[in-house]
Amino acid sequence: METMSPLERILRGIALTLVVIFFMFPIVWIFLMSFQTNETILRIPPSVIFTPTLDNYAALITGKLTTAAGTLDIAFMRNLGNSVFLSVASVALALVLGVPAAYAFARHKFRGSEDIAFTLLSFRFAPPLLVLLPLTQYFQWLGLSNTYFGLIWVYQLICLPLILWIVRGYFEDISADVEYAYRIAGHSWFSTFRKIALPLAGPGIAAAGLLAFIFAWNNFVFALVLASADKQPVTVGALAFVTASGIQYGQIAAAIVLSITPTLALALYAQRYLVEGLSLGAVKG
Amino acid sequence: MNDTALSIDNVDKFYGPVDYGVHAVKRLSMEVKKGEIIALLGSSGCGKTSTLRMIAGFEPVSRGTISLGSRQVQTLPPVRRNVAMAFEGYSLYPPLTVRENIGFALKASKLSQAVVDEKVASIAKLLEIEDILGRYPSSISGGQQQRASLGRALIRDAALHLLDEPMGQLEPQLRAVLRGRIKHYIKERGLTAILVTHDQTEANALADRIAVMEGGVLQQFDTPKKIKERPANLFTGTFVGEPPMNVFEASVSGSGTGIRFGLKDGVHLDYHTSDFSHPVREALLKRQKVVLGVRPYAVRRSADGVTGRVAVNQWLGDQTHIAADFAGGTMVLVEHDRTSLEIGQPIGIRLEPSSLHVFDSESGNAISHGEELA
Amino acid sequence: MTTLQLKNIVKRYKSQTVLDDLSLEVADGERLVLFGPSGSGKTVLLRLIAGVIDPDEGRVLIGGEDMTAVDAEHRGVGMAFQNFALFPHMSASDNIASALTSRKSSKEAIAGGVQKVAKLLKIDHVLSHHPKALSNGQKQRTALARALVGSPPLLLLDDPLRNVDAKLRFEMRLELPRLLAAQGATVIYVTQDYKEAMALGDRIAVMAEGRIRQIGTPAEIYNSPADIEIARLFGDPTINLLDVVPQRGPDGAFVELSGVRVRLPGFGAEIVGKECVLGLRPETIAFTEASTLGAVPVTVEAETPLNEKTVTLALTARGREILVSRPAGTPGPTAGPAHIAVNGRAAFLFDRASGQRIRPSEVTSKRNGEAA
Repeated sequence: METMSPLERILRGIALTLVVIFFMFPIVWIFLMSFQTNETILRIPPSVIFTPTLDNYAALITGKLTTAAGTLDIAFMRNLGNSVFLSVASVALALVLGVPAAYAFARHKFRGSEDIAFTLLSFRFAPPLLVLLPLTQYFQWLGLSNTYFGLIWVYQLICLPLILWIVRGYFEDISADVEYAYRIAGHSWFSTFRKIALPLAGPGIAAAGLLAFIFAWNNFVFALVLASADKQPVTVGALAFVTASGIQYGQIAAAIVLSITPTLALALYAQRYLVEGLSLGAVKG
Repeated sequence: MNDTALSIDNVDKFYGPVDYGVHAVKRLSMEVKKGEIIALLGSSGCGKTSTLRMIAGFEPVSRGTISLGSRQVQTLPPVRRNVAMAFEGYSLYPPLTVRENIGFALKASKLSQAVVDEKVASIAKLLEIEDILGRYPSSISGGQQQRASLGRALIRDAALHLLDEPMGQLEPQLRAVLRGRIKHYIKERGLTAILVTHDQTEANALADRIAVMEGGVLQQFDTPKKIKERPANLFTGTFVGEPPMNVFEASVSGSGTGIRFGLKDGVHLDYHTSDFSHPVREALLKRQKVVLGVRPYAVRRSADGVTGRVAVNQWLGDQTHIAADFAGGTMVLVEHDRTSLEIGQPIGIRLEPSSLHVFDSESGNAISHGEELA
Repeated sequence: MTTLQLKNIVKRYKSQTVLDDLSLEVADGERLVLFGPSGSGKTVLLRLIAGVIDPDEGRVLIGGEDMTAVDAEHRGVGMAFQNFALFPHMSASDNIASALTSRKSSKEAIAGGVQKVAKLLKIDHVLSHHPKALSNGQKQRTALARALVGSPPLLLLDDPLRNVDAKLRFEMRLELPRLLAAQGATVIYVTQDYKEAMALGDRIAVMAEGRIRQIGTPAEIYNSPADIEIARLFGDPTINLLDVVPQRGPDGAFVELSGVRVRLPGFGAEIVGKECVLGLRPETIAFTEASTLGAVPVTVEAETPLNEKTVTLALTARGREILVSRPAGTPGPTAGPAHIAVNGRAAFLFDRASGQRIRPSEVTSKRNGEAA
């Protein structure tokens, strides 16, 4: 690399700072809000100086929300549990189904294979609202509405295409010769898949799984329509804070902090994989 | 009149901070005369490409000066150095045809279109790309792109032509004749050229002098003949020449009338004192351990030689390569006829004193070549 | 050791025919080189023998047994790849052992086998390294070791020396025959380097466009190429090819170079007036004195040393290029006018239209020539 002049270095620093402020501001603001009462949040002009309180978090964890109109029961912790269960189960199922499919699409070009793969991806293109109405009908008819199984199934619309396309790119990147070499060394195709293809595509599978997890976690509209209160994830559960006596900004902020913490932690932990996985998916997809 | 085309004086190249970064080129000094073809030869990471890029102006010089003619250029941008370059990655302009690519550099020269066309046609004929002049770079093969890129550099009338791995991708069947034509073209026009290559065959074929580099240090700068006959050290000796030089570790001992080299497996080579000049004898006897080198084509078969056993006998059409098990190692012989030797057959191997290269076993520096001191 | 037979193999990719009705027999213990430019189908053929690609038509017989429908893992062949194809997540030793583990031999037997072949290939000191910690040469040796370790009766080597530097390539060219002889396997060796082909092959099959153009010993291919393309592929510097139309002389056919007659012994009336290409190997041409009978005047353009040879580019009076090669160190002109002696007996003659070689008809030609 060329060495930079001091002026270039300063300009670069300023530009970077601006970008960081732009992107980090909402997160920081929400974080601060979660330690304030509704009164301090809504005062004008807003200020960053306040006496922090843990009431919001306490309310979420105990499930008792005290408002001007009385005490409300909220199921936030249950929602959080639902989110974890739904996301993990959906991603697990999507991996079990998607990784072998991705391998097949990567290694075996058969008539129509591209079309099938593309059709699967196109699930991501359709606006969810478009399919929701008929889906609700079917689910009621099948007895799947308001079941975990039904939700996990619908979540495959989100997870499966993502995993399929990202992991397929990774499999295609593995030289076919490496797999041939293992076959010729006397191993069956299944053991080649298990011992060679899977470990080599490991980072890609992890990235795809992570992304699928985040997308599943953030889903709102499917769960809103297809699940009632006891099966709802946090994204829907947070609606409970829009109460008759007003919007509970403090609790919403605390709920957001709690609900983004797992995905944020995961994303930070696997940042490298994620960036790799995303860009690869972008190129190959 | 000054006939120096390029002079590099005490040039250092650091990647990262000066004196602390990666030291890619170390105190390099060399002079190139007008009309010379020079090869910078070395394996990857030896500093040859950094050197070329500093001459072209793509890479700042950390320390030292580079002059073209009598003009110091190390701080000038590339366009003001009057240097033509053929890039290893070809770098042809994709939206232009091969013809436009080659003629591109002449646009600035205010030559009439007819003259440009004529020049392009003649260089295209030389490089055998006449039939693809109207095509775009993306639709021609790697070898053709490389020839187009060479044409674009050679057509210019620059003070210096820099050619980075100019022939690596060429079709093998075209290589020999193109080497001859390009060499003739450069010589006929009195151009000065520096080519960078890792292929010693190419360096030997084209260059008047070869600069062998390794670890950022210039190892030897001499004519191909001199480098072959008088390699400065073990590195140059084994890097230049194909098949590579045979190398054996040996002990040295002297008796009244002879000098004896002891090799592995109890093999020893005896020479008469008079086979070496007095200073060589002294230099040899001062050391216990040396490394003996002998070029494959200089190894002779003779009944009174030391016995080796034929391990491999490969006929290549116009040469025979023989490998014999000899003194715990392998001795390679090159002969120009087809030899009928059976595998396992014993042969007598004779190393003439005049063909012996002796190197210091620690520094690797040459001690003697034949009967003379290095 | 085993035999290999390919019968009428056809392989197509979409509309393109990659292998076109190809048949081949390889004898027990033979070393056959598949040689050809890239895209000639040799790599596909090798994968097809290994069983990782299926032919569209034809049969593959190994040791006389029809293996066409047998999966790769049950064919018992060993293969080394051009790009090494090492398993990046396994150590060198596990890489090599992978060819043994499938047979469920004991741990000790596997370790012993790996040790033995690693020693043979001089990589026993790097067995614990992962591929990315190995040098190119070590990678290549690991790949070879993996192919050899199971002592397969049929060994497929796909241009194994292509990705190593010139010096290593040369060393391996000398080492491989010894290694392979010790293995005693039947070997199919793919390469694009004619020197490797000549040095390593008992026979060479020259491939082009999915077919075998010529098959024979190195000497047959070099001294008696079937067509222009094969003559061009073997030899460095490349054979000189000059368009000629032979004429009739008092003692047989001749062609003119720089206005001097070069006799073509063995050829007679059948080639007179025919559009031909004359093929002259650079090493069969020598510089000579002007006074020598039949000396052809030329102008020397440039001298380009080539390893232990000196190659000179010369022009005939009509401006045709001729490459002359001689052992390094022997005297010769470096510039200006000179004379060459052309050995008509070593010249090849090709039909310009078809590219096929026209063979001399020794006995009849002389008589024909005289009669004419």
